[in-house]
Amino acid sequence: MSLYPPYPPFFGFAGVASAMVLSTVGTLFGTAKAGIGIAGLGTFKPELIMKSLIPIVMSGIITVYGLIVSVLISSALTPTFYPLVAGFIHLAAGLACGFTGLTAGYTISVVGDSCMCAYVYESKVFASIVLILIFAEVLGLYELIMALIMNSKVMGLEVC
Amino acid sequence: MGYYSYGLPPFVVVVIALYILLTGSGEAFNVGRFLEESSPYAWAATGIGLCIGLSVLGAGWGIFITGSSILGGGVRAPRISTKNLISIIFCEVVAIYGVIIGIVYSAKLGEFVPEAHLYTRENYFTGFALFWGGLTVGACNLLCGLCVGITGSTAALSDAADPNLFVKILVVEVFGSILGLFGLITGLLMVSQASDFSAASSLASPLVSVA
Repeated sequence: MSLYPPYPPFFGFAGVASAMVLSTVGTLFGTAKAGIGIAGLGTFKPELIMKSLIPIVMSGIITVYGLIVSVLISSALTPTFYPLVAGFIHLAAGLACGFTGLTAGYTISVVGDSCMCAYVYESKVFASIVLILIFAEVLGLYELIMALIMNSKVMGLEVC
Repeated sequence: MGYYSYGLPPFVVVVIALYILLTGSGEAFNVGRFLEESSPYAWAATGIGLCIGLSVLGAGWGIFITGSSILGGGVRAPRISTKNLISIIFCEVVAIYGVIIGIVYSAKLGEFVPEAHLYTRENYFTGFALFWGGLTVGACNLLCGLCVGITGSTAALSDAADPNLFVKILVVEVFGSILGLFGLITGLLMVSQASDFSAASSLASPLVSVA
C-alpha cells in the first residue's frame, strides 16, 4: 500500500459525473413540468407566455451551476500527484453540488407548474411567483458555494 | 410475497458479507485493490458503451414520447404533423452527440498494449476518465432526450389547440436541448488531460512486483 496509489482519479471523476448528471436531472424536472404548465397557460392567455418563461430559465441555470463545478473539478484532475484525499474531496464536492441541484430543480418544477395555474386566473400573483422561484433558485446557488469551498481545500494540499 | 422477492437477495448478500468480515477475511473488501487490479481497458470500454447506449436510449425515448403525441393530435388537426417534426429532430441530435463522443473516446484506445505493460498511472487515469466521461455524456443525453420529448409532446398538443402557441413552446424545447450540449462539453473536458493508452517501458502490473 503506497502513499500515492493510482486510483484516486476514479473518485475525482465520479465527483465530476455526479455534479453534472444530478444537476441535469433537476433541470429535467424543472423544464418538463413547468413547460407543461406554460402550455396550459398559453391555451387560455397567450400574451402571458413570455413572462412565464422564468421557471424554465431558472432551471437552466441549475445545469450551469453543475457545469461550472464539473469544469472546476476536472481541471484539477491530473495523473501525477493526485492524492487520495483530493479524490475524496472532489467526490464530496460533486455529490453536494449534484444532490442540491436535483432538489432545486425539483422545487422549481413543482412551484412553476402550480404558479402557472394560478397566473391564469389572477395576474397580480406574478410578484410572489418570482419571489418563490428566487428562493428555490438560491438552493441551487448553495450547491455552487459548497462545491467551491470544498474545491478550494484541494488547492491547498502540498506534497508530504 | 414482496418480502421474499425484495428482501431475500439483500439479506443473503449481507449474511455472506458479514461471514467474510467476521472470519478474518475482511481484506477481501479492498476497494483500492479492486481498482488497481481491474483492467483500464475494461473501464474505458464500458464507458464508451454506456455513452452511446444511454444517448440512443434517450433519443429513442424522446422520439416516442413526441411522436405519439404528434400522431394523436394529428388525428383532429392534421396541419401539425409537418411542423412538429422539428421536435423529433431535436431528439435525434441527442443521439448524434453520443455518436460523436463515442468516436472521440474510441480514438483514445489507441494501439493494443499487452497486459504486462498496461498498469501505469496514465493508463489508469485514461481508463477512469473514459468510464466516467462516457457515463456523464450518456446520462446527460438520456435526460436531454427525455426533456425534449416531454416538451415536444407539449408543443405538439398546444399547436393542435392554437397554431400561434407552437413557436413559444419551442423556446422551452430549446432550453431543454442545451442539456445535451452541456453533457458533451463536460465529456470533452474530462478526457482532455487523458493520454492514449501507451505501453510502459518496463514491467507494470499490479500482480507482479519487480524487486
